[in-house]
Formats: sequence, structure tokens, C-alpha cells
Amino acid sequence: MPAGGYFGRALVVDVTSGTSRSQPLPDGVLRGYIGGSGLGTWLLYQMGTPGADPLGPAAPLAFVFSPLVGTPLTTSAKFAVVAKSPLTGMLTDALASSQFAIAGKLTGHDAIVIDGRAPELSVLLVDGDGTRLITAAHLTGLTAADTDRRLRSELGRGWRVAAIGPAGERGVRYATISHDGRHAGRGGLGAVMGAKNLKAIAVRAAAKVATADPAAVLAAARDLRERSFGPATAKYRELGTLANLLAFNAISALPSRNFQSATFDGTAELAGGAAGNAGGAAEDIDGMRRVARSSCASCTIGCEHIYRVGKGRKVRAEYENVFALGPMCGVSEPGAVLAASARCDDLGIDTISAGGTIAWAMECAQRGLIDAPWLRFGDADALLRALDEIGARSTPLGSLLAEGSRRASATVGGGSGAFAPHVKGLEMPGYEPRTLHAMALGLAVNARGADHNRSGAYEADLSGDLVRLDGGEAHVTAAVETEDRAAVMDSLILCKFLRGVFTDPFTEWAALLSGVTGWDVTGRELRDTARRIVMAKRVYNIREGWQPADDWLPDRLLNEPLSLPSGRVAALTADRLRAMIGSYYAMRGLDPQGRPDRTAVDDLGLA
Amino acid sequence: MLAGGQSSRMGRPKSGLEWHGSTLLRRTAGIMARVTSGPVVVVRAPGQGLPELPEGVLVADDPREGRGPLQGIAAGLAALSGRAEIAFVASTDMPFLHPAFIRRVLGVLAQSEGTDVALPVARGYKQPLAAGYRVWLAEAAERLVKEDRLRPAFLFEESRVRTLDDAALKQDPVLAALDPDLDSVLNVNTPGDYAAARARPAPEVTVQLFGTVAKGGASGGPHLVRAATVGAAADAVAVVFDRHVTAALNGDQITRDRMTPLAAGDTVFFLSADAGG
Repeated sequence: MPAGGYFGRALVVDVTSGTSRSQPLPDGVLRGYIGGSGLGTWLLYQMGTPGADPLGPAAPLAFVFSPLVGTPLTTSAKFAVVAKSPLTGMLTDALASSQFAIAGKLTGHDAIVIDGRAPELSVLLVDGDGTRLITAAHLTGLTAADTDRRLRSELGRGWRVAAIGPAGERGVRYATISHDGRHAGRGGLGAVMGAKNLKAIAVRAAAKVATADPAAVLAAARDLRERSFGPATAKYRELGTLANLLAFNAISALPSRNFQSATFDGTAELAGGAAGNAGGAAEDIDGMRRVARSSCASCTIGCEHIYRVGKGRKVRAEYENVFALGPMCGVSEPGAVLAASARCDDLGIDTISAGGTIAWAMECAQRGLIDAPWLRFGDADALLRALDEIGARSTPLGSLLAEGSRRASATVGGGSGAFAPHVKGLEMPGYEPRTLHAMALGLAVNARGADHNRSGAYEADLSGDLVRLDGGEAHVTAAVETEDRAAVMDSLILCKFLRGVFTDPFTEWAALLSGVTGWDVTGRELRDTARRIVMAKRVYNIREGWQPADDWLPDRLLNEPLSLPSGRVAALTADRLRAMIGSYYAMRGLDPQGRPDRTAVDDLGLA
Repeated sequence: MLAGGQSSRMGRPKSGLEWHGSTLLRRTAGIMARVTSGPVVVVRAPGQGLPELPEGVLVADDPREGRGPLQGIAAGLAALSGRAEIAFVASTDMPFLHPAFIRRVLGVLAQSEGTDVALPVARGYKQPLAAGYRVWLAEAAERLVKEDRLRPAFLFEESRVRTLDDAALKQDPVLAALDPDLDSVLNVNTPGDYAAARARPAPEVTVQLFGTVAKGGASGGPHLVRAATVGAAADAVAVVFDRHVTAALNGDQITRDRMTPLAAGDTVFFLSADAGG
């Protein structure tokens, strides 16, 4: 009998043969890795062939649910998609929220793991009748949203769909998997799915799962819902993450023009507020109205702010997509940025990697390293053209940029690697490391690469509790703590936007998990769980070829100080970063090269 | 910061005097902490009580009482030995000390390899307690005190001193704009001085509000307000400065401390502390 909230098994599907099997998940594994990102890491380590090509048939793709999915706890309708990233060659674990999480789990599995490669472009169906593959020939080239609509219309009630767009079919290394308009966005999971010849996976609920203490879970859900209406989530609810744009610009934390600056002249224009309307982010964008606010499934925060482009198209505007397609590429026309974001949705590509790779290419063109004089910073038409060429892989340039900035810079050469904006191959999010030193460390050492969701160290930089321009031991402590918190939240799974409502997070999360599972979990145990998950990701990466040089930042960020409007100079030197990384390794119990000892690996229970 | 003076003309300890919601000691220590990258050391007399200090400020005991400012300089520089190469020395009673003044003095010292002391001669007077010193001068200062040569002038006699008159100080355009009369060096020695200082308004600063902070009440700004501390600036624009709000000074340093001092020309951004995205 599995613990509450679990089925105690994973479904493993070989799409080469169309067969499937059920793999038991021992209680100890579930308690040790919880679900979502943690359990996905364990599964990937177990089931992946070491050294496999991420786009080959031997690289598994795991949809991993969690014990909280299906409970009334707010923001719990989330799942993780975990695979070896075709961008980084290491672990990637993208989270997303939608009804897919609930329907997928209620197929009767804590995870669905896909192996092999289907003989033709297919849709994988999973429900109470088992698994089967149907042709997706008629869906070829469709957007993920259109695929979702078509399939749900064809399959009937109750089916939920996760699909890839045309970019995933064409192996763009930062293609996404989409569902209900949300994306498992980072690391190229859509390319992995496309490499399996899967256009979509459709799931339908067929089972029920009980919690150990329904009354306690319900009481906790009510309490959490009330707290989710409070000031800790006000920014997300009232303005959305786009509110970061003006604030980050004001404190020189907004990367622009491929990290050549940490402020952007067009910010007020983009954010909709003139200088005198500094708080006006996300009300209007240059004549385009915010037309709706929406929530993910089972969420009471409602962070999604929807804008209308022109007369028809509605687009979700968030900080990261506006940063990546706006300031990062020097584009300040709001309509163009939203149109580019919509184009990324249609193609099914990650906005951050797309924007970062194009920004790098714009700088290459500026320096004469790429023969594309049309590809200029600030040129909205060039941005849209580049996106189209990437999504279609229709030109040599499009194919080059579809590989991501790391591979593209290796091809182009000419010193362009120094300003390729990535860590481990994953393009950087909109947090300037030179003015956010805790975040600089978080980005450098993170298993997934340059990522702001697995490391929330920027919280410490922006808290005022440490000096953000003077990275040292306090920043290392903060980076470890936020990474640990993320490891648990991403495995339970709870939305990060909820984090501010918890005053004693590990203890409160332990209580939630105890109520659902029936285990007597403590905050101390969850802290150990967090460290286990972080370590397991590192161990997986080491198995796949990680080297100490992978825990590093682009040369530009270490060699080009920033002059701030206040007159101060923000510098993040190699020595400073090296010192912080050394302290991080020591705090994590790693050797000076970032590797754990044999005992630490054995304790993970991966073998 | 020398806090151990006798305050005989004032008739009560100057470090605890209130000025626009803060104490002179806390304000001056906070201004120094804003500008310098190293620690701020407050030198006090043996057993002297001090008002609350900003987090991170170190306290050094002056080993002997009543030996004058050179003794305090010696003790303060000694406390910084190994932690810094140059230091700004201030007395506790300078309510108008501007960050730009400190930055200017230390900037000159840092860029002048052959200089041991950057000594302002502002408003007609030498200002040894608003000056920059090489930390290694601690030894010489201590020796002079033992020799009963207790005035800073004796230290200057055996140091390489670069004086900075009003014009030299104001070559820094920021200082010239924000403290044109060099009020930075004004100190309060008598109840009359103190009354005059209190009669002057708090510095004029600019406040801008971002995100939900602006949605809660006042518009985003910019708002010109009079405020000597971050907390007063928040109050001036009706911002509830709680755990969900942080303040960024002039776009870089971020603080949650209401008592962080402000100076003329500062810009304060109030931001949502929930910064994820």
C-alpha cells in the first residue's frame, strides 16, 4: 500500500515498440525524492543510459507528478518534465502547471517515462485502458495550441494534452512542451519529445488517489489559500512578474543588449509607465490593453496577465519573455516584443534561450562575425525574422541559432564564446550577475545551467540583508539556502510565487507532506531531502560528463565591469567568483573540484 | 568615528543627540557605512554608553580617556589595521556630512600614492576630524600620544599631507552640486549650534515607487520629499515599509533598515521585496 498521495509506480513506455510496463517505486525512494524534480532526477539516473545522446532513443523523457497533485492545496497542479538536455548535455527539469498534471497523475502513476523513438510522428495516449500510439501525421507542423485543440476535439472529454510545436519537430535545442498555454520551457524538452517522434501525449484520469489525513489537508489548503491572497503574492496577483522590468532597470539588474549594459533606455516604453509612472507596469503596453488575468489550474494567486496584440491575438506577458525579447535584443517596441513572444509560443521555443541566442547573434553581426547585416540590436523586424528562421531551420543562420548560443559560438569562433550568454549551454535569465552577486553564484553552480528557478539567490541580493555588489560568504550561504528551498518546492510541487507566505518553510512544508502522505516528516528531514536532491542532480551531471569548468559564468561578466548611474562600479571578478564557488563546494560537502566523495554518492540511494 | 569626546561645551554626550529622527552617532556611522566598503569603527571612551548603531558597525575602546582626538585617531586606525589601507576619520557631531564629501576625500587619498593624509581645509579651517588617513599611521599616532604630543598637527608634521581647500574639494561636481557650502564639516559643539542644526530641515530627496508599492497609495513618482532616513522617506509618501518592501538607495545599495540615513540629492526607490519572476 503506497503512502497517501502516491500510486507507488511509474509507467514506462517504449514508443519504439509501443509497449509499456509498470515500475514499482519503493516507499523509500518516494520519501527520499518526494516527486517532481526530485523524483525525476532519481528516475533519470536509474533509467537513462550513461552518455546517451539527449536526442537519441536511449534518452528517457519523464513526466513526473507529485504527492500534492490532486489535493486542494493551492498551486499544486504542477508536474516536472525531466530529461537530459540537448542544450546542456546535463539534467534539465522544467516545471509547468495545468490540468495535465492532475489527469496525468490520475492515470494511476506517479510518473510517465518515455523511451525509444516511435516509427512515425505519433501521439501517445495514456488512460485507464493502458497506453497506445496513434498517428500524428495530420498534426505535423501545427502549433502546440492547435494540436491541443485538435486532439481534444478528436479524443473527446477528459483528455488533457501536452504537445510540441514545429520547433520541437525540427529539433530546435530549446524547444518547449506546451499544455493549456503553459510551457515546460527550459532546456529543450520539446526537442527531446520531437526526437522520440512524439507530437503529443494525451492523458485521461482513470483512478483516484487518497491522502492520509484528508481533514488536515483540507484545513491546510484553506489556510494556504487565505495566505495566498495576502501581501506576499500581491505583486504577482496585481501586476504580474512584468513589474520587475522597471524595478530591475532602476537598480541596474536588467541585462540589455546581450549583457552589454544593466539598464535599458526603452524600459519605460516597454513597461507602459513613463518615468513619472514608475509603478505603472503591466497596466497598458503602448495602446495594447491588459485584457484578462488568469490562473494556472488549482491556483489562487492568478499571476497571468494577458494582453491583446493589435485587434486579435492575446498574449501572456511575463518578465522573462519581455526581458529576453525586449532589452536583451535592444527592442523597445512593446507590440513587437509581444508579437515575438507569441511567435515563440507558436513555434514552441523557450523565450529566454531564443532571446539570448538572437542577442548573441546580433552582437556577432555587429562585430562582423556573422554575415547578417540585417540582424541589428533594436530591430524588431530582425527579431521576428530570426525567430522564424530558427523555428523553421530554414536557413543556415536559422539552423545555427537553433543550436543555442554555446554551440553556435563554437561554430562561429572569433572570440564570440566570451559573450555567449549561457551557463552550461543554457541561456541566462534576466538577472544581472555583476550587480547580484549571490545570484551570480547561483547561476554558476546550478545543475540545470543559467537558471532563476532552481536558484533563487537573487532574493538575498534584493533583500537588503547582504551587499549585493560585494559577494562573499553571506552570498554563498544564501545561494545554498535558496537552492535547497527550490529543491523541495520543485519536488512537492508548490509554486515559487507562494514562497513568501511561509514563515518557517521547511517545517510548514513538512506538515503539508505529512498530512498528504501519512509520514511523520520533519523540517529537518526535508532539509536533508533538499540536499539529497541537489546532490543527486550534480551526481547525474558528473556521470554525463560535467567538468569543473562548467560551473562558471561567461567571460564578459567577469571582465567587463559595469558603471552604475550612482557612480559606483559593479565588478564580478574571476577571483571573487572562484572564491564563492570554493565556499559553495565546501558548504555542500564537495571536494575543491566540486565532486562528492564515494560515501556521499552511496548515501543518495541512486545505485 | 570618534565618539569619545567630553562634550563639555554641549553639556551632554553629543553622540546621543537627536536629529530628524536619528541620533548624530547613528546618522554619521550610517553615512560612512554607505560610502565605504570596509568596516565602520566607532571609538568610544572606556565604559562610555552608546546609542544604537547600524548593524555591522564595530566598537573600539579608547584605552585612555581624555587624551584628545589623536588618541582616538590612533585607536580607530589600529582597529582597522589589516582590514583597510585608508580610512575616513569623522567626529560624531556632523549632521550634514555628505557621502559625496567622504567619497571625494577618500578618492584623493586613494589616488595619491605619496600622500598619507588627505586633509580638507574647508570653510577656512583644517578639518582633521573630517579627513582621510593611511591606516598604518596608527603606529605614529600612538607614539605621539605616548610622547604627550596630543594634537593632530603633530601627526601631520611627520606625514605627507595633501590639503584640499574648498575649490579642490568642489572639483568633484557631485559634491559641488549636493553640498555647495561644504556643510559636511559643520559640527555642533554648543547647545546653540545644536539648536541651529535642528532648525534646518531634513535633506531633500527623491522617492520613486515601483510595482505594488505604488499600487498601494501614492503614485509612482518621482516625489520630492524632506527626509533624513529611509523610514521618514517611506512615511512621507505613505509607504508601509514592512517585510514586503525594500529600499534601494541611488539605484544600488538595498536596505530594509528604516534608520538608514539619507543625504541631499539621494534617490530612494521603494520596491517589492517579492522579486521573483
